[in-house]
Amino acid sequence: MTEKILLGDEAVALGAVDAGITAAYAYPGTPSTEILETIRRHAGTADSPIRGLWSTNEKVALEEGIGVSYAGRRALVAMKHVGLNVAADPFMNVAVAGAHGGLVVAVADDPSMHSSQNEQDSRYYADFAQVPCLEPSDQQECYTFTREAFDLSETLHVPVLLRLVTRLAHSRARVTTSPPRRQNDARYVADASLYTLLPSNARRAYGKLLDKQSALADYAEHHPANALTLRIGRGPGLLVSGIAWNYLREALGPALARYHVLRVGAYPLPVRKVRALLDASTEVCVIEEGYPFIERYVSALGLMREPPIKGKMTGHLPRSGELTPDVLRRAFGLPAREALHVAGLDDVLVSRPPRLCEGCPHDDAYDALNEALAGMGDDVRVMGDIGCYALGYLAPHRAIHSCLCMGASIGMAIGAAHAGMRPALCVIGDGTFTHSGMAPLLDAARENIDIKVVILDNSIVAMTGGQPTMATDEQVVDLVAGLGVPRARIRVIAPTPQKKAENVRVIRDEIAQPGLSVIIARRACVTYAKVIKEHRRERKAAPA
Amino acid sequence: MNYDLVVCGVGGQGVLAIAWVIDHAAVAAGYHLKQPEVHGMAQRGGAVSAFVRIADAPIASDLIPDGAASLVLSVEPMESLRYARMLRPDGWIVTDVTPLRNVAAYPDAERLFDVLFSVPRVIAVDATRLAHKAGAVKAHNMVMLGAAAALLPIPADLLERHVHALFAAKGERLAASNVDAFRLGDAAGRFTSALVAGGVARGVAARVVARLDFQPRPVDGDVVATWCARLRAPAASAAAARIFTADKPLTLADGPSAFAA
Repeated sequence: MTEKILLGDEAVALGAVDAGITAAYAYPGTPSTEILETIRRHAGTADSPIRGLWSTNEKVALEEGIGVSYAGRRALVAMKHVGLNVAADPFMNVAVAGAHGGLVVAVADDPSMHSSQNEQDSRYYADFAQVPCLEPSDQQECYTFTREAFDLSETLHVPVLLRLVTRLAHSRARVTTSPPRRQNDARYVADASLYTLLPSNARRAYGKLLDKQSALADYAEHHPANALTLRIGRGPGLLVSGIAWNYLREALGPALARYHVLRVGAYPLPVRKVRALLDASTEVCVIEEGYPFIERYVSALGLMREPPIKGKMTGHLPRSGELTPDVLRRAFGLPAREALHVAGLDDVLVSRPPRLCEGCPHDDAYDALNEALAGMGDDVRVMGDIGCYALGYLAPHRAIHSCLCMGASIGMAIGAAHAGMRPALCVIGDGTFTHSGMAPLLDAARENIDIKVVILDNSIVAMTGGQPTMATDEQVVDLVAGLGVPRARIRVIAPTPQKKAENVRVIRDEIAQPGLSVIIARRACVTYAKVIKEHRRERKAAPA
Repeated sequence: MNYDLVVCGVGGQGVLAIAWVIDHAAVAAGYHLKQPEVHGMAQRGGAVSAFVRIADAPIASDLIPDGAASLVLSVEPMESLRYARMLRPDGWIVTDVTPLRNVAAYPDAERLFDVLFSVPRVIAVDATRLAHKAGAVKAHNMVMLGAAAALLPIPADLLERHVHALFAAKGERLAASNVDAFRLGDAAGRFTSALVAGGVARGVAARVVARLDFQPRPVDGDVVATWCARLRAPAASAAAARIFTADKPLTLADGPSAFAA
């Protein structure tokens, strides 16, 4: 037993390492990034090494993890919530195929959208796929639930979803770890038909998944994290899950003892315990971080009359944004604590949004782009994408006009061009391009669609803290050419203040050309200059 | 015992390093800990914060409720006010006085400091200058940690040991400079409290300390007494306002002439 101070993400990573994983795969995304970063610092031992790989995207990461499981060994796959949309195809299908070696998908949700475009709730995915979901409430559970998830995955032959939220992923506390388990020996799937989902096999495999449901229900019913505490007599009840339990204790204090309480930390929902809570309660308030997932089920879409179910659907709790102890105090009609009053505070407080770093190459790329577009009318639109350069939406550049999901810029530019938009421009980073920008560029190249794609190649995945990019410099040129863009229409510029006039000319020339052009603005990120050098050294040292 | 504090500043100012030292020192002192922080996009010149909750019993919530924090420890003056509503009525603000103006609408300095010094319990330090003196320009975060050391429920030597541990891998010189930075801040923080205990008005003490030079050790008792006497004078309030906006910093050895109009 060793005690450490760990982020929730780090506790998940160590839980996976100690559970005997052979490999871990991830695509970086706040607030999940530190999971794989931590695993990469634990190389395992010489005779049982642990591979920790940044994958091209979340779908690839999960498929790599499934391969490890197929070979009988354990794999962790980590991503942020929207990453699971990208990986949804393998996720839904491996649920049907079933896990062989332990397979755990750790997904970090971002209620309040601290650094995300939505606050989708990953519990729906576990439910959709009919696989278990574990939802830790603190850092210690991050560690123990991760270890347990691997055992569960192997016992019931299902992938397991581990659901984190920002305030757990990015909060530190003391965690006690326990001795590591050795890795599985490789032992391939015996019945390959389960992983070969031709319709006849798929029907049989799906039948097996349905057969597992009663065992899963039983598991959840007896899980210690699904704890029912009934008081004497009928009274108000609370149904609370995950991290919300911590806020509730903070907000209510000793008053919590007046309520019947069902805590939930393992899904599917423990139906018999829910029934017992409802039977004992005059009313039930459902408190959960994220969407009203439990509330919708338990209240039967709000149709249930007795006992009344209160929560996010009934307006007793806010429908969006994360919970806090103060939000819960308000919901329970408790007065706010007395706080320091400072007169005139609002007059001297302004928001300080994130911004591009001093000397950032994106600044110069946007300067050149804006100048090239000046005079082409006020309604020129540039499709943007996900990365630091999304800040180009804000002043001073105001250069992009969309930011939807990874890789969307190119596809949206294609559609807009078909709808008559001229010029149809888009901006995408090197990391996002290899994540999911290559497929739409292949579309554009095949049809020579009249769009201008600006690839901002800064040699790194910067926004999430400097992870290696899949391709940079000439590799990007070769990829673009390989997708079918003529070499003459691939222009490489160096975004610097000195070269601005030249860069403006290049962009204008390409806009004037009919058909597809790709302009690569190539200059390394200044903030991660040292890390980029390390990545380049590593890449050279890697076997061909 | 439970003690909640907010550590804040702007991305790149070393806010999370302060939290690291407090975390490890608190656990070494045997306390329970919860410490959430803001990551991600905010690291690019935006507001950054870490909440630190220390207690001798298990802690429920990672987040600090409004009105529960005992201390806001900030590396930037406007950021210190951003979290003022989280303070208890008797809470402290400990902040560097050097504004980081990377937003166009940054408030006028006079108004900003009027509001800051209206807070009843403030320790203000020119951490940038003191860090320079300690020989590590980036160590202003450790100056600020030092300035708050006397308020934290953790022995100062335990904090100091973890300041050293944080930088030890980068060489003894840098580690020693950061420890010096911590001690300079500690001297400033304790001097502020000593002045207030000696009858000096809080706003006067805070303004003067923000412009004073220190040594990496506690200020001698007789020097404290001299300054207390000086700053209890009826004209001290006007003098403190003048000193705070003057170009030239003061030293503890400066005589009464420094107070002349």
